[in-house]
Amino acid sequence: MSEMLTISIDGKECTCKKGEYLYDVAKRNGIFIPTFCRSDAFEDHRACCRICIVEVEEGGRTKVVTSCVYPVERECSVQTRSEKIMEERSVVMALLVHRAPEAPSFKNMVGRMGATETDRLVTLDGEKCILCGLCVQACNALGTGAISTVNRGTEKKIDTPYGKGSDACVGCLSCANVCPTGAIEYSETDTTRTIWNRDFELVRCEECGQVMGTQNSVVFAAADEVVPTMCDSCRKKHLADEMMATYRYV
Amino acid sequence: MNSANTTATTDRILVCCGTGCIANGALEVAEAIEQQIAEQGSSATVQLKVCRTGCSGECEAGPVVRFMPRDLMYYRVRPKDAQAIVASLEGAPVEKLMHKVDGKAVEHMADNPFYALQHKIVLANVGVIDPLSLDEYRAAGGYEGLARALKMTPEQIIDEVDKSGLRGKGGAGFPTGRKWRTAAGYDVFPKYIVCNGDEGDPGAFMDGSTMEGCPHAVLEGMAIGALAIGAEEGILYIRDEYALARDHIQHAIDDAYAAGILGESVMGSGHRLDLSIVRGGGAFVCGESTALMASIEGRVGEPRAKYIRSVQRGLFDHPTVLNNVETLASIPAILRDGGSAYAQIGTDSSKGTKVFAMVGKVKHTGLVEVPMGTTLRTLVYDIGGGIIGDRPFKAIQTGGPSGGCIPESLLDLPVDFDTLTEYGAMMGSGGMIVMDDCSCMVEVARYYVDFLCEESCGKCTPCREGLRQMRSILTDICEGRGKPGDIELLERIGHTMEDASLCALGKTAPNPVLSTIRFFREEYEAHISNKECPAGVCAALTQFAIEADACTGCGMCTKACPAGAISGDRKEAHMIDPAKCIACGSCREACRFGAVLTTRRTA
Repeated sequence: MSEMLTISIDGKECTCKKGEYLYDVAKRNGIFIPTFCRSDAFEDHRACCRICIVEVEEGGRTKVVTSCVYPVERECSVQTRSEKIMEERSVVMALLVHRAPEAPSFKNMVGRMGATETDRLVTLDGEKCILCGLCVQACNALGTGAISTVNRGTEKKIDTPYGKGSDACVGCLSCANVCPTGAIEYSETDTTRTIWNRDFELVRCEECGQVMGTQNSVVFAAADEVVPTMCDSCRKKHLADEMMATYRYV
Repeated sequence: MNSANTTATTDRILVCCGTGCIANGALEVAEAIEQQIAEQGSSATVQLKVCRTGCSGECEAGPVVRFMPRDLMYYRVRPKDAQAIVASLEGAPVEKLMHKVDGKAVEHMADNPFYALQHKIVLANVGVIDPLSLDEYRAAGGYEGLARALKMTPEQIIDEVDKSGLRGKGGAGFPTGRKWRTAAGYDVFPKYIVCNGDEGDPGAFMDGSTMEGCPHAVLEGMAIGALAIGAEEGILYIRDEYALARDHIQHAIDDAYAAGILGESVMGSGHRLDLSIVRGGGAFVCGESTALMASIEGRVGEPRAKYIRSVQRGLFDHPTVLNNVETLASIPAILRDGGSAYAQIGTDSSKGTKVFAMVGKVKHTGLVEVPMGTTLRTLVYDIGGGIIGDRPFKAIQTGGPSGGCIPESLLDLPVDFDTLTEYGAMMGSGGMIVMDDCSCMVEVARYYVDFLCEESCGKCTPCREGLRQMRSILTDICEGRGKPGDIELLERIGHTMEDASLCALGKTAPNPVLSTIRFFREEYEAHISNKECPAGVCAALTQFAIEADACTGCGMCTKACPAGAISGDRKEAHMIDPAKCIACGSCREACRFGAVLTTRRTA
């Protein structure tokens, strides 16, 4: 059994397991800490947006930590909205807003938390990506690993190797769906989806005609099983009909 | 070869073949001397042997040739000097190649103040032995520390390192003994020992020179560390640009395997240790410990949050000790001569010595090793010989992009891990760039921020975006578009980066900006308020003119000017055409009479 600890977050007493991430403890106790690059879908967090910083006082020393990956190892007192944190968070917000001026979800956040107002920062015209890396995590978690961060420093971006169509990509849209800012663009015609510099053939359900995904993604998801030819809801309907046919006369 | 028998009858000619001297033709010099020896012949009693060594230190005066055991030292040697050198070995020395003190030629290394004030432990054998010879390393006491460590328990080894007070010399200054003890305490195997040879600070070459000049010392340090923590595998992560260092380390590894120092049974002890090299891809950020390990594992070289430390979960999630080259190269002497002997050198909290790569506007540039606590003034003026052209000292940049600029008022502070930090600067890993009054501190900050914009890994927002914004603001200031409030905005971004960045490189990335604001704020203000660059560096704010009375009409400035903007007859005062002048400052650098003046550029 793991050791339990009691810590204070913004004056509220919270119990947690030793080693639990501070962000998770706060969330469970109804204390909101903003974050952009963290998703419950993944066990590991990249801790790169730096919005979830909080101040921790431990053994008489105060430090700024990233709550999404900070393991609570001993008793401590946490401030999620101290003067220092609000100042630094507002600077980081301003940096993000100017990096990705076209990312719509920021507007709400900024309104709620306030970014540093200044006309001295340069904006990247048309940019939506905040480089949170959730798309890369999603792609890796699926086992496709088609995209990654490329370049470094201010030139860093998300892309396929050498910006060319990747054999590993199956066009499943997991990256686009997990993206918090709608930065991953793709287009679709009746028969084709285009994403990450590559065209994918779309497969439709033989029953209802709904798009089931790309040919590659359906085959990939089936792994070694039989590749399905109808969508999930039609498959369930068929199954139910079959069961009805089987058991009605028992 | 049996070195014990040959030293009695062989005199050695040490030719410095460090990277700097090689660039200045040291290999040709060594060849020419060998040829001369063959032609002139050795005397009946004395055999002459040319020994190509690592960096002897005074790069600025290279190639350096030293004749042993007489300790006769020659500087700036050319291949054509070979005949005179070999002829002089038993007679009168060649005066024009010797170091001059007050106009008088001096013979020995210790007569040159550049060397006299140094205390060499890490570099003890660098520049003295052939780095490719295991025999020479052993003859100089090499692998005695390892032999002693093999008779000790891991605790005793760590106690010895603890006693020495050794702290990590990559810049952070973490106590090495404590790091080893923590790693030794985890019963998770395999464990790893990793050598950080990814030295990437502009102007720094301490670690490269150490690996080139005495590779076995690094291997011996790693072997001792491996014994202490219980590791059987070690990796040297060496940056790709250090081809010579890599060759020498590989050569040393091969020799050590052949001699039974590495492999299944380290010096017959039954302990296994395998060492190998991993080539870095040339990313500055891979000098950061977690990024370095990610790179070894074949992942993107990005740091991770270090709340769980590498000594617990490092390389491949196993306990890992990562030490810098200089730290590891300090270990053999500590084990051989005892930790207390090492602890007698240095200050209370910073023990031992520190190697510095001193470059910039100092007369004697090169590689120096001094006891911790030596003042910057001693380094720059006594060892370095002062500023080129005896111009006024302005600042010294230490620790590369993570470091800061130290003004003249702090020159008398002892250089160690803690003192400079208290004053808002830092010692850093050992790179030192000396600057004179012709350096603009805003431009220096902009240079480092620009460097970091390319070399940050770009993972976290404060570092990546903070640097982008700082670069834009600093460029504006340098080009005359600075606005009131810019300094304060730079400070706000900088302080946020210090606290909120993910890794140590991000947290220290604003140092060049914050330290120059701290010590040279008026220079920033001059750029912003007066649109003036007091140092005459920022081209958009500066114009040059020639003071007719001081000009001798020598024409040096005309030759130096890349824009063809200077005219004037010989021995007549020259003129600069402002329409053609690009304000590069070449004329000012070329003028030996101080006749080139800088003024504020008028629109």
